[in-house]
Amino acid sequence: MTPLLAVRGLAWHPPGDRRQVLGPVDLDVLRGECLAVVGPNGSGKTTLLRCLTGLLRPSAGELRYEGRSFATLTRRELARRIAYVPQIRPSRVPLSVEEVVLLGRYPHLSTLQLAPRKEDFAAVDAALALVGIEDLRRRPVDELSGGERQAAFIAAALAQESELLVLDEPTIHLDARHQRELAELLLRLDAEAGRTVVIATHDLNLASLLGDRLLALSSGQVLACGAPSQILEPELLEQLFRTKFEIVRGGERPVTLLQLGP
Amino acid sequence: MGSQPVSLGDVLRGDPTATAIFWQLRLPRVLLAMLAGAGLAVSGLSFQTLFRNELAEPYTLGIATGAALGAVLSLRLEEAGALLGMPLVSLASFVGAIGATALVVGLGWRRQGSTATLLLAGIAVSLSCSALILFLQYLSDSTQTFRMVRWMMGGLAVVGYGEVLWTAPWVLGGVAVLLALRWDLNLLLLGEELAASRGVDLVRLRLRVLGVAALMIGALVAVAGPIGFVGLMVPHMLRRFVGHDHLFLAPACLLGGGAFLTLCDLAARTIMSPAELPVGVLTALLGGPFFLWLLVLGRRD
Repeated sequence: MTPLLAVRGLAWHPPGDRRQVLGPVDLDVLRGECLAVVGPNGSGKTTLLRCLTGLLRPSAGELRYEGRSFATLTRRELARRIAYVPQIRPSRVPLSVEEVVLLGRYPHLSTLQLAPRKEDFAAVDAALALVGIEDLRRRPVDELSGGERQAAFIAAALAQESELLVLDEPTIHLDARHQRELAELLLRLDAEAGRTVVIATHDLNLASLLGDRLLALSSGQVLACGAPSQILEPELLEQLFRTKFEIVRGGERPVTLLQLGP
Repeated sequence: MGSQPVSLGDVLRGDPTATAIFWQLRLPRVLLAMLAGAGLAVSGLSFQTLFRNELAEPYTLGIATGAALGAVLSLRLEEAGALLGMPLVSLASFVGAIGATALVVGLGWRRQGSTATLLLAGIAVSLSCSALILFLQYLSDSTQTFRMVRWMMGGLAVVGYGEVLWTAPWVLGGVAVLLALRWDLNLLLLGEELAASRGVDLVRLRLRVLGVAALMIGALVAVAGPIGFVGLMVPHMLRRFVGHDHLFLAPACLLGGGAFLTLCDLAARTIMSPAELPVGVLTALLGGPFFLWLLVLGRRD
């Protein structure tokens, strides 16, 4: 089976600065899987994600979506295939939830189209229902709580109806209940909608819970990639984060505990 | 109303003086005020969205100072004459506006055309043009200098149907393009990263908006001189009533801008009657207090 997304020799450094931030990275994202990218601050997680979405042009290497090189796809064609929920969002959004989600339909709209079509509204309804925020539909985004805002932006990415969904630190700033709800949503997406998900996170237990595979990124390079039980090993994690972890096994997925003291 | 009282009854009865004033002087002037107000407001709106900056307006990127430099240069050279039915001063300012924008875009391009770079390039070009204008004014005699200063106040005084016909296609065409881009502009409200991830080609969008605004503003400045603050005030006022969706906000600015400048021009003609105030001076006088109002009251939301 050809992978959904094939990454070969991907590298990135800032223009005019030779210091490599990312790469070289070789990676296959398989259709229907959830790949969780973990690694310390500054390991290049966001840079990797921005390359995978085509927002950042790699300094070297090639990305292919279903065998088609990114270079042959327009921004709009890419957006129909890959949706992105970035970590940083504008502080003021003067639109309602429904308007924001409807804008997720942009790659499917033509410029000359006066109004969104029936299928666009259907996609908006479906996305709001999937995330479970139909009741927020008319609310201004600026009045929402952090968790509700995150849900609205995820719904907008879902309305884009792309097969691949890329999320950067989606649980950051969320309380425990919202973290659980988000994790459940992502599991539902995997099971019901058959989406492929790439997620970057600092939360090793979330990664363990969601990820079919974990990718450990260290200084822009792949330290290891494999099943959660393979990656969540005390030695590997200590090498990755330079701090000690205790791993609790026995449940379906391993649970990591941060160890304090020497 | 105006310096010479003309009532609608006189016009309808066919009073020759009233009819002449109405059809030959007042109507083209009102039409031009509507076009200029509409063009300034709609391009102000698109600049504020493009740069995600509430203070951006059509003149931020040196379009107006570029136009002024063109006009001042032609006044200095005293090259009287006309081309294609337009006075040379107008053509010179039109070329100046387009040239300044091209320069800004060219400078901004070296760094992949980010909005911050464009804004800085715009300010640099604008300051350079202002300096050259001062230099040219210093070199000129007092008559020339007076004509330059008068031009830069902006006004709708000497207007016939020629000017209206000349500006209408630019303004209406520009508004049509910006309306077609409303999805892209709406997405920019969510930030550039999200807009790009939804499929907006940011560089192409910036080029289109800047190009359209330069043509529209260039044509307007050529005829009416630089009329400031309309592009700033009208979109801000209308956002409170219409919301931020460009599908509704752009047409609202088209109508609201036209109405606003028509009223300003009416006031400018009436306040000091029988003399008249250049409308650019009036809008500039309104602009300062408006900023304060924006600062004090507008910060609640």
